[in-house]
Amino acid sequence: MRHPRLLLAAALAAPLVLAACGGGSDDGPVTLRMTTWSANEDHLAMLNEIADAYIADHPDVEAIEFDPLPFDGYTSTLTTQIAGDNAPDLAWILENAAPDFVTSGALVPLSETLSGTDGYEYDDLVPAATELWREGDELYAYPFSTSPFAMFANDDLLAEAGQPTAAELIESGEWNWDRVVEAGAAVHAQTGADGIVIRDFDYTGWDNLSTLWTGWGASAWSADGTECGFDDPEMTEALTFMHDAVFEQEAMPGPGTTADFFAGEAAFTVTQISRAGLLAEAPFAWDLVPLPAGPSGEYAVIGQGGLGVLTVAPHPEEAADFLAYMTNPENSVKLAQFFPPPRASQLTAEVLGQANPLLSAEQLQAVVIDRIDSGVVKPSHTGQAQLDQAVRAALDPLWTPGADVEAVLADLCAAIDPLLAR
Amino acid sequence: MTEADTETAPGREASRPARPSWWTARRRDNLAGFLFAGPQLAGTLVFVLLPLGLMFWYSFHEWNVLAGGFRFTGAENYERLVQDPALPGVLGATAAFSVGLVALNLSLALVLAILLDQKLRGTILFRTIFFSPVAVTLVAWTIVWRFLLQDDGGINGLLSVVGAEGPNWLRGETTAMAAVIVVQVLKNVGLNMVLFLAALQGVPKELYEASTIDGAGAWTRFRRITMPMISPTILLTSIITVVGSLQVFAQIDVLTKGGPGTSTTVLVYYLYQNAFQFHDFGYGATLSVLLFAIVLVLTVIQWQMRRKWVVHED
Amino acid sequence: MRTERSRRAKLALYGLLCVLAVPFVFPTWWMVTSSLKPANEIFAFPPTLWPADATLHAYGRVFDFAPFGVQYFNSMYIALVVTVGTLAVSSMAGYAFARIKFPGHNLLFLVVLVGLLIPSEVTIVPLFQMFNRFGMVDTHWPLLLVPIFGAPSVLATLIMRQFFIALPAEIEEAGRMDGLGRFGLYWRMALPLSRPALGAVAIFSFLHSWNLYLEPVVFLSTPEKFTLPQALTQFTDAYGGPMWDVQLSAATMTALPVLIVFIVAQRQFVEGLAHTGLKG
Repeated sequence: MRHPRLLLAAALAAPLVLAACGGGSDDGPVTLRMTTWSANEDHLAMLNEIADAYIADHPDVEAIEFDPLPFDGYTSTLTTQIAGDNAPDLAWILENAAPDFVTSGALVPLSETLSGTDGYEYDDLVPAATELWREGDELYAYPFSTSPFAMFANDDLLAEAGQPTAAELIESGEWNWDRVVEAGAAVHAQTGADGIVIRDFDYTGWDNLSTLWTGWGASAWSADGTECGFDDPEMTEALTFMHDAVFEQEAMPGPGTTADFFAGEAAFTVTQISRAGLLAEAPFAWDLVPLPAGPSGEYAVIGQGGLGVLTVAPHPEEAADFLAYMTNPENSVKLAQFFPPPRASQLTAEVLGQANPLLSAEQLQAVVIDRIDSGVVKPSHTGQAQLDQAVRAALDPLWTPGADVEAVLADLCAAIDPLLAR
Repeated sequence: MTEADTETAPGREASRPARPSWWTARRRDNLAGFLFAGPQLAGTLVFVLLPLGLMFWYSFHEWNVLAGGFRFTGAENYERLVQDPALPGVLGATAAFSVGLVALNLSLALVLAILLDQKLRGTILFRTIFFSPVAVTLVAWTIVWRFLLQDDGGINGLLSVVGAEGPNWLRGETTAMAAVIVVQVLKNVGLNMVLFLAALQGVPKELYEASTIDGAGAWTRFRRITMPMISPTILLTSIITVVGSLQVFAQIDVLTKGGPGTSTTVLVYYLYQNAFQFHDFGYGATLSVLLFAIVLVLTVIQWQMRRKWVVHED
Repeated sequence: MRTERSRRAKLALYGLLCVLAVPFVFPTWWMVTSSLKPANEIFAFPPTLWPADATLHAYGRVFDFAPFGVQYFNSMYIALVVTVGTLAVSSMAGYAFARIKFPGHNLLFLVVLVGLLIPSEVTIVPLFQMFNRFGMVDTHWPLLLVPIFGAPSVLATLIMRQFFIALPAEIEEAGRMDGLGRFGLYWRMALPLSRPALGAVAIFSFLHSWNLYLEPVVFLSTPEKFTLPQALTQFTDAYGGPMWDVQLSAATMTALPVLIVFIVAQRQFVEGLAHTGLKG
């Protein structure tokens, strides 16, 4: 009477064993898969156009699939796919995941492939833009999008509150954080709309605050990533300023309050220029200007996206070759419609203007081109996900009216020191 | 209770002549048993026991997902578990959540069931209302509550109408935990309510009549008759609710992401963070083993407790 | 005197029920009405109970933005297949564990019950690897097979077993006299009597599949294959900024039909649930 059980066990085990043995690779034309975090139809159409042109010339590649993953949790989803032996060949990589991907050996080195490609003009890549994606001289991912943060201003709301417009403040030399907070507070007091929104911060995405504290000369950690910067005097001053702006002057919406600049609910917002698209039908007058100066002067912060080939990918060689094609000077111009390129020769108002008809040449010059070289990239570190979580949790106590900024920041450093030391 | 009856061999098959002698009705029935339970047993083997075994296996490894490294490290992950400075807080949050959820869920379910058990018109309407969140998609329900619980959201809006100022629910440590518990209870309390209602309606009315004659008050009747009679239901619902409370994920992910601070980071969420956000599958597996052990111990304890307070276990 | 008191008691009871009903009804009400509001009215404070300026604009955008129809179909067919599959697997297993004394049936039942204790988060990584080995990642197979055969079906088997155990033995005896074999007994005698339990299992499995969140997020990556809960969290612009009105419209569309079906058929649902062996 044990037979049925044995049979059952055998029947169940068979397919598992078979599957474990199978799975060899075939030599026919390959299909490449690339993950992105944009499901935007225009983006995908452009990518497919580049891919189709490549396939026509390369019989060894049968098809190239673009696989948009949700932006929220993008790195987690990508990692899960890798863990499940289902890695894509190419992947967009968020800047905050760059150190993890670059130093872990997850990415295929690209310098040789790129510089060896005819007409690639490898030296055209701006060093400031590729720094995050290199280890020594070796490039591990191509920063396809290098986009400075800037400030959008709602001129109607400012006028309603009797405040000068952003352009007028720049003109009069008053374009600094103190004055902006003053204007924001006035807008909030007189119109009920909110003053300044640091977009995507929402009291969780703390790395977006680097768009503020960089103006104080503060940074999350030292350049070599070993020392916590949150308890430095500059940082304490910057976050005290922010805390006061939220709770004293009420120039920024408090935690748990939603205000969307692009729906006309705030006077200023700090974000990347690509969001200008959201203003296509805006029923209010707006302007795009560089970030206001902080106590340490004028500054710029850039956000990046990288494109890399995964070591564990099914077809890394073909993928690297496609990456070289996709980012060559000719295709880079196409990419530049949506993503500011890392190529010095293409950082012109003309190239950037083709995709941003809403922005004037002067705006692009001031916000993007003049600042891309000096831009500080948003903070990133190996073990970013864990650090990110630890900093978010430790910063939470700061966002209450009576918070002791210095004490919170000291605790924060105590919490992340062991992580930085790893 | 009635299982033994199936053993009696039916006469018909036994009288068939051409069967080999070992092919008895008994063996035939055994085969039927295995065949009937077969799909479930196979599913348990492939989709429960095998992955569980793999999870134990992983927990003895360091698994660097990005670089593709998979290295046996013995008990290292378990040593790390014992020393993990975050773990006491996580277990505390887990306990607070589970205790709060189970207590609120079971008591509210019982209160609602008792109210609906009264002879009243329109109880079906109220029953439908209390049960309806069960039919609303979990993620939709939670997303709506995230809106409602914002500082400028619907709940504080309602409160401001009556002149009260509500707290910033999801940003305070205590209020965030309370909010997560209440949202989850409102979503699922209807299920337990219906089960309790059925149990209440199954209590023989004669018992009550007899005790009324004895002059027992309502509370005494409830304690002496109702509670013992529905105790098996309480046991079952509490087991299911306790196990369910340890599996809450989507609600925390949508409402608080484990914050503020780490006040709502329960074990499942911590596990998810380690495995899927910190890419540390080895340690994630170790936390899974811990979670499994906790669920197992709690269930065994509850099962043992039934002897004490479940009255008519037959 | 006595009737006056009981009238007051009744009023108090109704009052209590109405107050208790608010937190159950308000979210759904708010979701439906807000989905009709333009984006900037959603956050009006204090909130408006009815949109000043009702519009179906956001509903149209749901379909612009995502292959929502296909995603709806995915969720629907997956939930239906899971329901039917679970009914078959769990009623057979429940029957075997309750009424057939095959060797080890109690021990095996305990082993199956382990599934009840395992949060899906615990086994998701190994399951992912197993399915990937069979080339089933980014297909609907994991969302069908695991709920039907794996841990989620254990509760269903438990319900069915408790129900079948309570069936009077005489019924089967009668069937046996008529010459029914095991399958005949199960199919002709036990199943028709177990409609309440089957109803409860059907609701449980349908809702479980319909609510599944972590599994689709982990297993699926193509929007055309997404299910609704997963799709719901994706109504963000290209940079992750949420699109509230569109999200609420989509949420309403996922919640309302099931809710309406439930309200129409609620008597069977609730009573089916109530008559299961779960009452002990």
